[in-house]
Amino acid sequence: MREWEDRGERVHQRIWELLPWYVNGSLAEREREGIETHLAACHRCQEEERVCRRTATAVAGAGEVAPSPHPVQFQRMLAHVEESEREERRQAGGRLLAPFRSFVQAAPRPLRGALMAQAAVILLLIGVVGWQARHTGAASPAQPPAVYRTLSNPDPAPVPSVRLRIMFWPKATEREIRDLLHGVNGEITAGPSRSGAYTVEVPATGDPAGVVLARLRSEPQVVMLAEPTAGELGKPAHD
Amino acid sequence: MNPFPRFRNILVTMSSSDELTLLRKVAAKDRKAFEALYHLYYRRLFGYLLKITRRAELVEEVLNDVMLAIWKGAAGFDGRSRPSTWIFGIAYHKALKVLARRTEEQSDPDSPEPVDREEPESLATRRELAGVLGRALGSLSPEQRAVVELTYYYGLAYPEIAEIVGCPVNTVKTRMFHARRRLKELLPGLGVTGYAG
Repeated sequence: MREWEDRGERVHQRIWELLPWYVNGSLAEREREGIETHLAACHRCQEEERVCRRTATAVAGAGEVAPSPHPVQFQRMLAHVEESEREERRQAGGRLLAPFRSFVQAAPRPLRGALMAQAAVILLLIGVVGWQARHTGAASPAQPPAVYRTLSNPDPAPVPSVRLRIMFWPKATEREIRDLLHGVNGEITAGPSRSGAYTVEVPATGDPAGVVLARLRSEPQVVMLAEPTAGELGKPAHD
Repeated sequence: MNPFPRFRNILVTMSSSDELTLLRKVAAKDRKAFEALYHLYYRRLFGYLLKITRRAELVEEVLNDVMLAIWKGAAGFDGRSRPSTWIFGIAYHKALKVLARRTEEQSDPDSPEPVDREEPESLATRRELAGVLGRALGSLSPEQRAVVELTYYYGLAYPEIAEIVGCPVNTVKTRMFHARRRLKELLPGLGVTGYAG
């Protein structure tokens, strides 16, 4: 009799444990059927199932609180990744040099200087050969053509841009300001003024000034104030 | 029938095979694919990390660590689980690591006082953290909280939760057991009567 009671209590306990996943509908069919059979006859577990459903409703009802990612945040994350890769390359470089270092240290002292000098000459020769290989023949297509100014060739036309007036928080770091401006293709062209304001120019051919200002203002821990300079909104700096 | 069909959609907005293709491209160091993955997962990871850590100021840091881990480890993803399971598993462990580090720093009498810097928090975030339910969930351990959220908010099965948090299924059930007991103490609105397991 006691063995039956113990077995019954174990079954009950097993059902009780699975109720949250019965409630969220993720149980395998066999488990689900076992629970439904038990629930049909067990008032304690029926009550517990109701508690689980109320909990689920409360937790699920909290809603999504996540914002959409900002381009500046992606740039920051990418910078984090690139910094990590640079660090790995530095460490790998150290590991590559380790056998050479051991070899030099194992050599007799009078010979060490000669070995280091030989390595330096070899590296220099590799550098010279590589430089010559890159600079023979036509210019690399990746490089922009050189611009020559002559009497008959006027200065290239300035890129149309919009001027904004921005004040940064004193605690904003140089990195944060740089990432933020990079994200909107902005460039500081004047400032700081006596009040601490900078003039930032952004390309007129890019996002509308209103969108750029919204992006800047979405970083309130970096930007104290962002507004078009007087008379600038809708008018490029260079007509 | 799944009474919570919408919750599965929070975790899965692209088919697993499409996500796997994206991950394979990330493994080949395709930056466009990495950016696509970032945008695909940002909101889900943000919400998930906020729920586990309960600290809005840590979320961005942990999220960047997660993306770095994905960038480095995508080549090692063997495809035995769903990509979302793998990614959420990384996020879970990164979150616990940062929480443990912050707890150590704050218990060190020589550590400098944290800079009192206003972090922007949306109204929804503040509501999430400060409400009755938010406080009750905040009183759970991060491990228990993760099981509760993955079950009730994300609608996952317990074997998948075990895979995400990296523990046996019985440990998942045990954490849920303790969490349920604690929530009943703190949330009388759940209407607890009689047997509490």
